[in-house]
Amino acid sequence: MSALPAEPDQIIYIIDDDEALRDSLVWLLESSGYRVQALESAERFLARYDENLTGCLVLDVRMPGMSGLELFEELGRRRCTLPVIFITGHGDVPMAVSALKKGAVDFIEKPFTDRDMLGLIEQCLASERENRGKRRQEADTARRLAQLTQREREVLDLIILGKLNKQIADVLGISIKTVEVHRARVMEKMGAHSLAELVQHVVSAEPAATR
Amino acid sequence: MPDSASRGPLSPSQWYWTAPYVAVVLFAVAMFALAWLMFEREAAAQRSAVTRDVQWAEQTMRMHMQGSEEFIAQLARDLAAGVLDADSFQLRANQHIANNAELVNVVWVGADELVRWSAPFDTIEWLVGDALSARQQLAFLHARELGGPAYGEAYAGARGTAVLEVYQPVRRGREFLGAIVAVYSVDRMVHHLVPGWFAEKYRLALLDGGGEVLATSSVVSEVDERLFYEIALDPPGNGLILRATAFRSVDGLPKTLPMVAIVGLSLLVLWTLWMLRAHVQRRVQVERERDRLFNLSLDMLCVVGLDGRFRRCNPAFLNVLGHPPESLAGTPLLDLVHAEDVALTVGQLRALEAGQAVSFENRCRCADGSHKWLVWSINPVREELQVYAVAHDITGRKATEEALRAESAFRKAMEESVLTGLRAIDLSGRIIYVNSAFSRMVGFSQDELVGAGPPFPYWPDEDVDTCRRNLELTLAGRAPAGGFEMRIRRKNGERLDARFYLSPLIDLTGKQTGWMASVTDITEPKRVRAALEAAHERFEAVLDGLDAAVFVADARTDEILFANRAFKAIHGFDAVGRTVRGVAVPQPERGDYRVDPRGLSVADLPRELFDGELQHPLSGRWYHVREQATRWVDGRVVRMGIATDITDRKQTAEVSRQQEERLQRTGRLITMGEMASTLAHELNQPLSAIANYCMGCVTRMQSDNWKQDEVLAAMQKASFQAERAGKIIRRVREFVKKSEPRRSAVAIDEVIDDAIGFAEIDARRLGARVLTEVEEGLPAVYADRIMIEQVVLNLVKNGLDAMHDNPPVHRVLRVRARALGRLSVEVAVIDRGHGIGEEERERLFTPFYTTKAEGMGMGLNICRSIIEFHDGRLTVESNPEGGTIFAFTLPTEAASERLARRA
Repeated sequence: MSALPAEPDQIIYIIDDDEALRDSLVWLLESSGYRVQALESAERFLARYDENLTGCLVLDVRMPGMSGLELFEELGRRRCTLPVIFITGHGDVPMAVSALKKGAVDFIEKPFTDRDMLGLIEQCLASERENRGKRRQEADTARRLAQLTQREREVLDLIILGKLNKQIADVLGISIKTVEVHRARVMEKMGAHSLAELVQHVVSAEPAATR
Repeated sequence: MPDSASRGPLSPSQWYWTAPYVAVVLFAVAMFALAWLMFEREAAAQRSAVTRDVQWAEQTMRMHMQGSEEFIAQLARDLAAGVLDADSFQLRANQHIANNAELVNVVWVGADELVRWSAPFDTIEWLVGDALSARQQLAFLHARELGGPAYGEAYAGARGTAVLEVYQPVRRGREFLGAIVAVYSVDRMVHHLVPGWFAEKYRLALLDGGGEVLATSSVVSEVDERLFYEIALDPPGNGLILRATAFRSVDGLPKTLPMVAIVGLSLLVLWTLWMLRAHVQRRVQVERERDRLFNLSLDMLCVVGLDGRFRRCNPAFLNVLGHPPESLAGTPLLDLVHAEDVALTVGQLRALEAGQAVSFENRCRCADGSHKWLVWSINPVREELQVYAVAHDITGRKATEEALRAESAFRKAMEESVLTGLRAIDLSGRIIYVNSAFSRMVGFSQDELVGAGPPFPYWPDEDVDTCRRNLELTLAGRAPAGGFEMRIRRKNGERLDARFYLSPLIDLTGKQTGWMASVTDITEPKRVRAALEAAHERFEAVLDGLDAAVFVADARTDEILFANRAFKAIHGFDAVGRTVRGVAVPQPERGDYRVDPRGLSVADLPRELFDGELQHPLSGRWYHVREQATRWVDGRVVRMGIATDITDRKQTAEVSRQQEERLQRTGRLITMGEMASTLAHELNQPLSAIANYCMGCVTRMQSDNWKQDEVLAAMQKASFQAERAGKIIRRVREFVKKSEPRRSAVAIDEVIDDAIGFAEIDARRLGARVLTEVEEGLPAVYADRIMIEQVVLNLVKNGLDAMHDNPPVHRVLRVRARALGRLSVEVAVIDRGHGIGEEERERLFTPFYTTKAEGMGMGLNICRSIIEFHDGRLTVESNPEGGTIFAFTLPTEAASERLARRA
């Protein structure tokens, strides 16, 4: 295979109770150069789940024991951000629709074509990559925010609210000079090159900070 | 021997007990003889010594006396010669007297018989001038006549001592001049004529001719009177006898001592023998007692040699094992031992050999081949090279033990299996025992319960006071015979009701040691009883509330014993006491009864008498009358009758039958739907897998990088999945085969009516109308009624659904049936719905195609299959008035007959 369509650490987890389907899916996906791991039940997957998994899930809706839908809900409770593709059989359509409403990426009805499946997988992995980058950025920003002193934080909050240095000085009861010093520090600590960049970082990381 | 008399001839033991006595006596006799012999010999020797000594003494005496005779003869010659004067006479005589102490006097007696000269001077006898005494005259004359010396008779002299005189005549020529007389003192003769050693040994006595003792040498010394010797003294030869008697020897042992010794020793030996005999007899007695004990003992005793063979067995041993007497001696012990116990026994015998006393149990074979358990206790006696064994027959004990064990196991099993809980408390109220049922009942383990005192762990907190009161009553012995009903708290907190029956716990000695409670879980019985009571109340209420008339009447007299309210209401409130026949209508005729109730006995009960429907002749109402012969509370045979007014029920029966049929149909329809859904799901799996495998292969083969064996494996898997799909299909086919239609002649109009009956609910919900147009006199079709009904129903429902969006006025569905010639009938369902486009119509019959949100897309497909199965056709076309017409044809009965004939 010349080029990997996915990052090497992204793994597609296939969870299906039917051995043939599972195995054939592994075959199909591996043929297209993905890293695949197959599990025969939702419980198995939960047992080995941890937050650092990357990639996506391919879930059979109907399974003995924990159903795909239940696993999906459980993962939601655990704040899992892995994208999920549901495989549905005939008659499971309403179920799949409710899954979609709860945030699953997509569902695919059996029998499906390889094009559909591979397309969905690619889409999922891409969104997961993007998500992960975003989360990393957010984490970075949060870390930087944590480094700010109390006063700097107050200054930052006011900057984000679009206040001018003079206004900030008035609100906080300090001199404009001091505000400028704080402002420079904030920019430095947040690694922002412009006011716009600063605001974007903070807002994306901490939507609640925008009072 | 105590019983020798009864035994007759001497037994050897008796003989050797006599022998020592005989020997001792013989020995004593021999010793006596020997002693006597020696004694005799010694006596003889002594006698000969005495003889010799006496003869020697006599000789000595004679020599002395001859000396004196010669002296006086010299004197006589000298006198006669006249050379002797008185003085020389005196000198010579005195000299001679001095030399011979035995001489007392020497005297010259003249022929005139007068004393002339007399020596010694100082003599008091034989004084000169004295005449001779008569006795002396005799001897004087004798001497004169004889011419030689003559001795006179010894006689007692003047001094009281015996004297002996010898006369020597003096002659001158023929002249007789007198005689010289020498006078001896007999006493002095005895004392002086023998040497001293003789006098020491013997008492010497001189006796005259009459045996009178004249003189004796000693009178004091004791003499042996038997040991003496006498010899005549000559001269004088006139009967004088010399006697010597030996003195008793004082230096030697007394001669009787050996005898005494022999007798004494013999007696000692005899006494010793006697003692020995007594001792031995005691020993023998003891041994005999031991023997008797050996023989009488109920214990099995035996003596076994070190070679393991029996030496001796007592009768008990033989009796227990059933062997004949003496049959075991020499038999190896191991021959008797049960094969399984041989190893153990040999081990024990080894220990015996090592000198240990052993005790063990084994089985021994009896004469009859059975085995008995014996417990052995064996002591080795090494110096005797045998062992002494005692055995007990413990077969009984073993059997008892076995029985006890079995009994115990049985009891245990019983105790385990018994469902009644058992709990024993001692007199202080402490639990001493619970069985497993009780333990299970309360949920506490036996360990937790035994030893616990009040309050017991299973007392519920809310009932502790009641429980305590009950316990106090129990301990006071005032527990009610019917037991207590108590609430118990299980370990897990559950409550259950239990009944405690108390009984005293009596030990072996008859002493009461506590109380035993048997505990029954009455939660269920209590619930049941409560339910029963309620049921009974309900029953009475129900019986009175029943519309059915119920009565109980005596089977013989027909008298009504009980009647419920309904019966009384119908037949009069005074019915009880009257006869059934008199009041109740309708009644089964006597002949209608299966058996005549009047002839029934209690043993035949219960017996159904009548079960049937009767019509009241006047009101025309129908009654279901059921009569049964049964046993009344007082034991007599009664008829119990129940009459139910079934007029209404009869009317609804037909309706319900139809409903039943509908249910059946619906059931089958549901099955079909489910099957279709399952089929779809199951087929999806292999089909998806196949697709995946194939596409994977395609992808890989499009890239350059693929391995043949990998792809091959995937293809094989795909092929396997195809097979799986095939199997699913086969399974469905088999299912379908099982539910093959049952065809018969069916009136199509009825089928349509039924189907529409079902669909009417949907129709009402939609506000639609369903119209039927059925030709008169349609021929019956040959079909499965239910299947065709399904098809019609399905088509009707589809049609109704299709008109969902129509304004209510246009929601009209027509079902039309008409004959197409003689051979087929056509049924058409015509709706005014949205219609079906050309494109859709093509896909209409593909499985799983649906235009409905909730549909599965199986309905039409199945319908077509059913119709085609009936050799008909299902067609669809657009309704020129808008909507769709679904129509199917079915062959008539006649057509199918022709078909069958052709086949």
